[in-house]
Amino acid sequence: MLIVQLIFNGLQTGALYALIAAGFSLIFGMTRIFHAAHGATFTIAGYAFFEMYSVAHLGWPIAALTAIAAAAIFGMMLDRWVYAIIQRHEGSFFTVFAASFGVAIVVQNLIAMAFGRGLVTISTPLSKSIELAPGLFVAPMLAIVLVCAVICFALLQYLLTRTNLGIALRALGENPTLIEVYGLTPRKISQFAFLIGSILVVPAAILTATTSGLNPSMSHHVMLISLAATIVGGVGSLRGAALAGMLLGMAENLCLAVIDPQWSEAVTFVILFLFILFRPGGVYGRAIAT
Amino acid sequence: MKKLFAVPSLASILAIAALALQPALAADITIGGAFPMSGDNAEYGQIFSSGANLAVEHINADKMLSGKLSIVYEDSQATPAQGVVAANKLINVSKVPFMLSAFTGVSKAVAPVGARTKTVVVNGGGVGPDLATLGEYFWNTIPLANFEVKIIVPYLVKEKGLKRVALIYVDDPLGQAIVKELGTELPKVGGELVGSFSIPTTAQQFSGVAARVRDVKPDVVYFATYGNQESQLVKQLRDNGVSQPLASYSAVDIPSVQKLPEAKGIIYTSQQIDWDKQDARTKRLITDYTAKYGKKPTTYVVNYYNSVLTFGLLAAELEKAGKPVTGENLLAQRKATDKFEFAGSTVSFEADGTVKAPIQIMEIAGDGTGKLLVPGK
Repeated sequence: MLIVQLIFNGLQTGALYALIAAGFSLIFGMTRIFHAAHGATFTIAGYAFFEMYSVAHLGWPIAALTAIAAAAIFGMMLDRWVYAIIQRHEGSFFTVFAASFGVAIVVQNLIAMAFGRGLVTISTPLSKSIELAPGLFVAPMLAIVLVCAVICFALLQYLLTRTNLGIALRALGENPTLIEVYGLTPRKISQFAFLIGSILVVPAAILTATTSGLNPSMSHHVMLISLAATIVGGVGSLRGAALAGMLLGMAENLCLAVIDPQWSEAVTFVILFLFILFRPGGVYGRAIAT
Repeated sequence: MKKLFAVPSLASILAIAALALQPALAADITIGGAFPMSGDNAEYGQIFSSGANLAVEHINADKMLSGKLSIVYEDSQATPAQGVVAANKLINVSKVPFMLSAFTGVSKAVAPVGARTKTVVVNGGGVGPDLATLGEYFWNTIPLANFEVKIIVPYLVKEKGLKRVALIYVDDPLGQAIVKELGTELPKVGGELVGSFSIPTTAQQFSGVAARVRDVKPDVVYFATYGNQESQLVKQLRDNGVSQPLASYSAVDIPSVQKLPEAKGIIYTSQQIDWDKQDARTKRLITDYTAKYGKKPTTYVVNYYNSVLTFGLLAAELEKAGKPVTGENLLAQRKATDKFEFAGSTVSFEADGTVKAPIQIMEIAGDGTGKLLVPGK
């Protein structure tokens, strides 16, 4: 029964990781901007939900909308007022990364000043496990996480394949110079990438607040997961990000059947390392001719 | 003419010498603190520094020293590597003769820096037993974990009948010390360590650990970690079907754990402070801290208050004796001092730089406070 339990745990963790990684993968894949502040977007969304739901008691729909608004505004403002300016001055990839990293640290400290440095959680019966069978505990939250992940990815897939915006986004990821020939503005489309990528992180932030809690310094952990899943899944591939997130979550839990918990995080990085060595493009990465 | 100039010159020289001596005697002193001011353990840094800052305020208000005392902090992030960077900055750049430390791993890394430069390093938060072996320039104002484990194990096994103990511990010097102590103490009272699970310091997901813990069917789960990870672990253990009693050590005595609904009922040990001690120092600490922060001070606050007070008392004696306030002289003065009137206790330092204090057993009440189960002896 331990293995079955770990599979269920892995599904929940994996779905959360997939949601976390999807936004980063979209942004990085479409804009080629290493958005190191993606973790900060996650943290802002989580705390916005916490403030509206647990402190102001405004009900979850308003809290969720607030979290979406906060994440979207933060992501778009960062693109407009930080990344765009650096790129206009032909700043290098590293300059953008450094700026993004700096913003993440500033956000971490601002959140600590506003909410304190300790952990905050949202208590809900949905995170409490029920014993479905002897030794098998499953929380209603698992179903919510899986449904959220499926809906988000389905909507995203529809957006990217069946709408003009989605086609434009994919074109931006393929060749930002060429799309200008077609009368499109890369800068404007990039804003949409940040809007959608930032909103994608909100379900994961809310669900994390109810399961493992929020703290101001969690952004670096979010970035690690996002980066690992993006590389394993293939840059720019949302299918890849989803699959990789699920793979990493399952691996992190299933390995506990045979090894000590202290090594479970290392398993994630062993998988990442193996992919870098043997399949650097990721699961759904594409070979590029040079 | 020469004589007229000679007298003022001599007087001038004497006056200049007197003036030059004055600043040295009434010199402002800076001490240091290497605390986690950011990261997952920043809550501790906030608590520790609140106690230290209040002690500095009181020392200055009482004019205990001839000059003004100030404290400067560097961020250790609760990691040994950053702790060493912080210590080097404090000792080699800010030239502090005395600094505060916390966390077992950080303190073990920082102690050699203090020993090499003859800087006194005082710990009021870390509890790894190894902290008693870090040399004569490393002092502890908090009883170490081996004492805490020795107190809680007989209570859990004999009084509560909880013989099968599962342990979840952070993979660092503190966690390893707790494993060793539990492994030694449990068999003495008829208990058994049925499973021990080490977790990385950066881990945030514990549903799998909960499954492993349930699998060994313990009577009680003892956890030894710190910071945000404590709250995450407790919440996820409870959410994932671990219904057995939880037990821990003094690190759970922080607001984020005390207020966590899932933490209600956790049994833990902590240093006993005599809050009813009728001396002016204890009353003033409680009154001023409550007025400033809107809540009663905790043991961590008191420990770091007393740590800074130790410096104040020793430095005052050194100034009276006309000796410079250096690490060497502070150590010598401490050895020459029989007792220290701390806030909440009267203590003596042992030869290994530790203090003995009674350990009490508490239970998290669920309303942000702890309920006393067994007073310290």
